This record gives sequence, structure tokens and C-alpha cells, in this order.
Amino acid sequence: MSEAVSERKGGRSAAGVVRSGAGALFASVLIAALCAVARAQAADERDLGELSLEQLANIEVTSVSRRPEKLQDAAASIYVITAEDIRRSGATTLPEALRLAPNLQVARVDSRTYAISARGFNNAIGNKLLVMIDGRTVYSPLFSGVFWDQQDVMLQDVERIEVISGPGAALWGANAVNGVINVITRSARDTQGALGVLQTGNTQGQYGFRYGGKIGETGAFRFYGKAEDYNRTELLNGSPVFNGWGRGQAGFRADWSTGDDSFTLQGDSYRGHGELSAVGQPTFSGTNLLGRWNRRFADGSGLRVQTYLDHASRDDILTFRDTMDTFDVEAQYGTPLGERQHLLVGGGQRIARDETLKSLLIQFSPANQNLRWTSLFAQDEIKLAERLKLTAGAKLESNIYTGWEFLPSARLAWKPDSRQLVWGALSRAVRAPARVDREFFFPGNPPFFIVGGPNFVSEVSNVFELGYRAQPTDVLSYSLTAFRSFHERLRSGALPPATVQNMIEGKSTGLEAWGSYQVTRRWRLSGGLTTLAQRLHTLPGSPDPTGPSALGNDPDYQWMLRSQLDLPAGWEFDVGVRRVAALPVPALPAYDAVDARLGWRANRQWSVSLTVQNGFDPWHPEFTSSGAAVNQIPRSAILSVEWRP
Amino acid sequence: MRLRLAAMLAGLVLTATCWAQATEYQVKAAFLYKFGGYVEWPADALGGAGAPFTVGVMGAEELAAELSQITSGRSTSGHPISVRSLRPGDPLEGLQVLFVGRDDAAHLPQILDALHGRPVLVVTESDDGLPDGSMINFVLVDDKVRFDIAPASAEHGNLRISSRLLAVARRVVGGQS
Repeated sequence: MSEAVSERKGGRSAAGVVRSGAGALFASVLIAALCAVARAQAADERDLGELSLEQLANIEVTSVSRRPEKLQDAAASIYVITAEDIRRSGATTLPEALRLAPNLQVARVDSRTYAISARGFNNAIGNKLLVMIDGRTVYSPLFSGVFWDQQDVMLQDVERIEVISGPGAALWGANAVNGVINVITRSARDTQGALGVLQTGNTQGQYGFRYGGKIGETGAFRFYGKAEDYNRTELLNGSPVFNGWGRGQAGFRADWSTGDDSFTLQGDSYRGHGELSAVGQPTFSGTNLLGRWNRRFADGSGLRVQTYLDHASRDDILTFRDTMDTFDVEAQYGTPLGERQHLLVGGGQRIARDETLKSLLIQFSPANQNLRWTSLFAQDEIKLAERLKLTAGAKLESNIYTGWEFLPSARLAWKPDSRQLVWGALSRAVRAPARVDREFFFPGNPPFFIVGGPNFVSEVSNVFELGYRAQPTDVLSYSLTAFRSFHERLRSGALPPATVQNMIEGKSTGLEAWGSYQVTRRWRLSGGLTTLAQRLHTLPGSPDPTGPSALGNDPDYQWMLRSQLDLPAGWEFDVGVRRVAALPVPALPAYDAVDARLGWRANRQWSVSLTVQNGFDPWHPEFTSSGAAVNQIPRSAILSVEWRP
Repeated sequence: MRLRLAAMLAGLVLTATCWAQATEYQVKAAFLYKFGGYVEWPADALGGAGAPFTVGVMGAEELAAELSQITSGRSTSGHPISVRSLRPGDPLEGLQVLFVGRDDAAHLPQILDALHGRPVLVVTESDDGLPDGSMINFVLVDDKVRFDIAPASAEHGNLRISSRLLAVARRVVGGQS
């Protein structure tokens, strides 16, 4: 598993079968001997032969003390988007790559805006998802959501994207209510040499370059730069919106390891702008620098310390005019406890200085704010019986608005055999207030129609989950998850002048299912389905004129099916089909989209592909929210050339 | 009786523990087994249906043992897999895959000479593996077993490596062509 999830979720260190004291030596000799016996019986080595190439490539072979956590063992609804999946989808941006996760709802709102969520509450300012890039949190404390146009990576250098639907608050903290997305880029050691990418099409153009080299015997580096631009989208009636935009980004990453220590230093800088002279088209820029140190100890324990600085600025004369400077430091330590337990403890501190300017539509009061979050967490993984594992943990996290929040969870996993896992989880997660909940005034000048509520408190979700994962044969695997979330104190409005309140509650229930089937050596099918039923209502006495529909516009279901076919002579043909059900309020019809990609690896240096998105449809809208004009998302064709000298 | 029960329980626990401690060679053995499915041999190189698919292992006893266990009773493309432990100088007839371990890496040039362009997938685990003409070379990266591929060297032996395998490779590099 990736660094992030493997170190934070579930276990890592083999709880030694060693008893304390004088028995220890005897026990370890016995283990060694019996391991040899077990090996002779060969049951377990055979299991390795059943893993896929990618799984094998991700097994940690570290010595006795650390154990690989297989994805199959995680007691959560996790989907991993692999680098190969991204490549073969033809995705050119991070949000488009996220469409590959069956447990996410990804809707493109217009040329630059996406609404992305898991388990409902989807919204262009969706606020219940925690998003990280290489361990750096990228959601904005301004509104607890992500400005997706500001987040970018060199997609070719992404190792994997882990998507957890459901609460992750006990480890990750407030905001990890409905899901966690962690984008993990490759180590610099894995991105050596040069890479050039050129992508051009009717809706966008993109150019990228990366170069990686070695630093002495033990280190490696890479740097990259990329530039891209996106064309306008149109409204339902065909009139253009002046929302064409472009961005550029450059960055680097360096990794070293010496013995038991490994270090990472990485940073990015970006800048973007909308079409000249268009009102409401923001310019933005940002820079970040992150350092991480991992130390592994001989007794099987491990320490990880990470810190980063992040500067992000966005200027939209219509809405947000904001500059945020963030400093974050966190540490975690994991250690085996006796023979059956593994303990993970950690803490962190994040401080941010946020400065805003009044825009045409909104202002924050106070205009500037110092934000601070402090957190402590502990998680214990207990082997209750040979095949039964309990993971209990909690996080305490404070913020300047509501003080300390308690975020506990308990997860139970039963592994009847090496091919199946049954798990269940109970969690409490909160979405702590953002500035937009407390210090927000609309419009920018009095009289105000909406004001942040000084009494607005955290939204709370108590979540029950039940899951089953299986790999019945070498070529077939699938995962099923059912969940029910009980929400309290959700954000609600009032008649103007409206003060933001916490007067919506209710529940959401749903299913998440996905699987993959290797039909033949050259043909792989995969698919996914999610369903969602939300029953939300305003509390008696609430003056909210809109009701729960303001919280999100969610389809009842969505499904997708993908086919990856290897053809002779280096050709590949891939097709993806998805259906997203109708959106309720405001209503938007269901849509189907068919994407296809034809790729050709001409030789070691050159590969070429043509991707058509939304192939059978000149355009369709994917998302709308109350009061917003509906944009058409057009059919696109993208020619992509990759060069690796 | 109670003792026997305890031993059985211990066995169960240990099975899990041993798995947990997957060694470098177990993972490499699993990869060697998997490679067979992602490389195309010329039709005449595999023999008829039922003919064994032979993997030679030189200079890595432990890997040979692991591989025998992984592959026992398994087949690749309809050919039962057989594992042959080799020493430098042993005849290389009838092999489809040859793994040359670190200990015998120095013999690689002679081995490649002896193979003389025959369709044998040569896999190594040494720093100079690919420059010396090996087709796939294992490397340890962040404690994970990864591999680099030199498709040109493979083509030299009339082998075609699937794009899926190339995609998983850490690096696809220019080998000897």
C-alpha cells in the first residue's frame, strides 16, 4: 500500500508472535523453524502468485519487522486508481482521473469548475471531503472545499490515487466526513530520465516536461513544468460563457534514503488566469514546499515527521478574493505492542493566516483571520483472534470556532480465508465550521441577505458501514459496501436577512460496489455502481426557505463499465461507459457518456493516443445548483504524444 | 491432546506471520511466474500443448525453492511450469526463462553468448544487468521489488513484451540492440 494509507490505516508491523522475557528467544527460534515448515507446505507462497503485477510491485519486502498491508485487508471502502488506469483512461487532469473511482461522484460544472463528492452532498463548493496531494491538505479552510482548478500534478508521475469513501476522521480529522482522496506521486527514484508530453484537442491543450536524475548513491530528484489551457463552455442555449482559462505549474521532488531513514523534499508553484476582461474569472497562484522524514526502528516501530508551507492566492472580483498562508507540522509513531496489538499515535499543528478583500458579491468580517488547528490521535489494532482484527481509534482536533472535537471510530475485520474479508465500522465524523459559515456576508455591502452565523457549530455524521471484499478466482475480484449515515446539525439557511444555522438533519443510505475481471490475458473489464438515498429535513422552527436541496444535488445512482484491450503490435483500445442518474433539485436529466481511447506504443521512445470523451453526444450538462446557469460539457477529442528519450 | 491443539493453533498463527514476512525472493519468484503471461514467445519456442514451460534459476537457490512452490500445479498458457536449478556452465537447452542471481551475475556475458539470440527471457537482479544484455532486471525501490525492462534486448531473442508489463515496469530503458 502507499505510504499514506499503509502508515495511517490499519497495521504495518507484524505483531511478533514473541512472548516477553525468557521465552522470547525460544519463541523466535520456534517461529523460524515453523515458518520453514509452513513454507514447505507452500500455502502462502501460492497466494503471492495470485496477486496482480501491480499488487506484487507494491508489496513491501522489508525485513521481519514490517509487514505489507494488502488492500484486501483494509476495513474501509477503499478504491485505488492505478497509474495504468489513469494512462489508459486518457484523463488529462486530476478531476478527470478521479472519475475512475467508482466511489466518487465527479461532475464537471463548466470549463474550470468541478463538483466532486462521495456519498452525496455534491456541490461546486462541496465541503465534506478531505483531499491531499502527497500528504498536503489542499482543501481551503475558507469553505472546506477544493478549488479544483488550482490543484494539479504531472499525471504521468502519479503512482496512485487512493480514494476512501466514508468517514476517515479518526485518523485524518475534521472534514474527512464523506471521504478522503490522497494523490500520491512516484518517488523521484521511479521517475528518472526525461519525459515530454504534448496533448491537443478541441477543448484543451497541454504541454509538459519532466526530467529526473540521481543525487549521489542514495538520492534522486526530478523537476517538471507544464502549461495548459482550456476552452470556453457554452450555456444550454448555445451562448458562450467567457470562462476559458489557462494555468502553468512547475515543481520538483527529491528523495533520499540512508539505512533506516528516508527523506522527501518537494514543492510546486503555479499560476492561472481566466480570459482577459471577463468578470468572475479568477486569477490564482500558489507555492508550496513539503519535507518528510521516515525512520524505521529495529523493533518494528516507525516514526514519520512531515511539515509543509503552503501559499495560495485567488482573486475573483465577483466572489472570493483570498490569500491563505498555511504552516503544518505533524508526527506519528507506530509500534507493535506485545504480540497482538499495533499502536499508532500522532499529533499535528496547523496554523494559517487568511486575508480577504471585499468582492462585488461577498465580504468576510473580520477580513483577516488567524486560523489554528491542533490534533492528537491514537489508534490501536488488536488481533482478537486468528482471523479477527479490531481497529479502534480516535482523534481530538481543535479549531478556533468550536474548540475540541472528538472523532472516534471502531472497525472490525474478519478474514475467513485469504480470499475474503468481511468488515464493519462505526464512526463519528464532523465538518468543522469554515470561514464561510461564520464570517461570511452576502452581498458585499449592506443590506446583507446572508450572514455567517456566530452560533454555527460543527455538522456531525454518525456512520455505520458494512463491507465485503473477495477474490474468488485469480481473474475476478470485487468489493461491496453498504452504509448508513445519520447527520445532525447540518447547515441551513433562513429568510433574508439570513443567518446560517444548523437546522437540517436526516440520513443517507447507499451501496458501493465494484469489481474487475481479467477475461483473457489481453482483455480486462471493470465496473462500479453506487446508489444513494437521502432523507433530510429541516427541523421544526427552522426558517430555511430552501431546505436540504441547498446542501447538494445528488443522483440516486451512477454506474460505469470499462474495458481495456491490448491489441497486437503495441496497440491498445479502451472504452469507458458511464451513466449518471438525474439530479433532483434543480432537475437535470440523467446522462450517459461513452469515452474511448486508441493508443499505440510505437517504440520505447514514442507513444501516441487519441481519446474521445463523450463520444456519442455533442454535449450534455453534468451539474447545476440553484441559481446557477447550466453549462454544457462538450464532446472532446484529445491527441496525446509522449516522448521518453 | 492439548499440546497438539496448541501446535495447530500456533501453526495457524505462523502461517499468517510467515506470509506477513514475504521475502524479497518470494516476491521475485511470484514475478517470475507472472512474467510468463506477459511475454510472447515465438510459436515454435514453446513446444506442443502440454510441453513444459521451463524456468532456469542460476545462483539463487532460495528463489528456485520459492518458485517451485508457487508454480507447483500451475501452468502458463497451457504449459505446465517446471523449475530447473542451474550452475554456471550447465547446458541451457529447453529453457523459456532464465533467472541469473546476484551470485552468478559475473557469468552473464558468457551465458548470453551461449544463448546466442535464442528465445529465452533473461532476468537478472544486478546493477549492470540491463547494460550487460539482460531483458528484465529486478531492483529494490523503497523496499518494494520493482523491475526495469529492455525491450530491445528481448526483441533480440524474438520475444515480445506486452505493454501491460511495460506499464508496470519502473523504467523501460534502451538495452543492447
